[in-house]
Amino acid sequence: MRFMEARPDGRAVVYAHIQADPLVLRAADLLADATTTQRLLARAVMNGESADPARWRAMFPALFGPSAPGPGDPARDRSEAILGVSLEVADRGEQTRSQFRGAVVEALAERLLAGRTGPVRRERRILFDGRPAEIHPYDVTAEREGAAEAWDCKWGARGIKADVIHQLDDARRGAADEGGKLLVGLVVFDARRSCEVRLVRERGPVSLDGLRLVALEGLDRLAGRKPA
Amino acid sequence: MPATTAALLARARAAFDVLAATAEPVTDELQYLADLETVWGARLQAVSDARGAEEAPPGAEPAIEALEAEAAAITDPHRAIDWMSTLPQVALAAIGETA
Repeated sequence: MRFMEARPDGRAVVYAHIQADPLVLRAADLLADATTTQRLLARAVMNGESADPARWRAMFPALFGPSAPGPGDPARDRSEAILGVSLEVADRGEQTRSQFRGAVVEALAERLLAGRTGPVRRERRILFDGRPAEIHPYDVTAEREGAAEAWDCKWGARGIKADVIHQLDDARRGAADEGGKLLVGLVVFDARRSCEVRLVRERGPVSLDGLRLVALEGLDRLAGRKPA
Repeated sequence: MPATTAALLARARAAFDVLAATAEPVTDELQYLADLETVWGARLQAVSDARGAEEAPPGAEPAIEALEAEAAAITDPHRAIDWMSTLPQVALAAIGETA
């Protein structure tokens, strides 16, 4: 089993600009140390209609209400910063914001994984002897000898599709056939409950035993820590 | 008089149903919509059964009002599907429950 750079096609070249956008990096930095409720705020706002911050503050009393940390408290400042950056993402056109959201989830997964293992890389293919290589690269990989990991990242549960599950499972079995081990999984910026029903419907003949699911409530597991 | 948790969760469920109606034209996702209605409806009902008589915590009622307004503003069916997953989480967070 070996990892290699993906050969960029036209889509990848355009997407690389979005991945490197300062707004994406800022959002990922903020969300890496966020609580589950702050991440839920980001999901709601980035996918929302309203551009009025007052509506969002009202919707999240645990972050902005009378019993929440006051202005000047680091936790409150982070909530405000996440609200601000999420509104900036939402302000992009529909197609662009969709790409931004995906890039944010990938960058977030990269940061969290790097807190536990490494080296962590993006957009990598995995090659196995005697097997044709998959065309699509994995979003985030951890390439530690003997403890490699491959993750696909999705903004929402609807991104969980049969081909994605199949590709991850195929990589896991490819590593096993070589006597190695590859942890594979999905990082989904959505509620676990929604992801689970989607997985069950989309899995087809693939066993889910070897597939990890890290949903919004459990993102800190990627970093090897308990949810904040 | 403050609302009960059950009353707020019933309003959240009604807003969820608005989203479900908006999402309905996406016919290739009807199974997923049905699954979301099943699992989130059950979760909201379970919390309502357990805590329904409690007085809602401070800020919960304005939170549900904001959620209702957001759900009503969503006209794109695909966005409505995404929100069918998010709305129950936000409603539960507003009353101090996990998803």
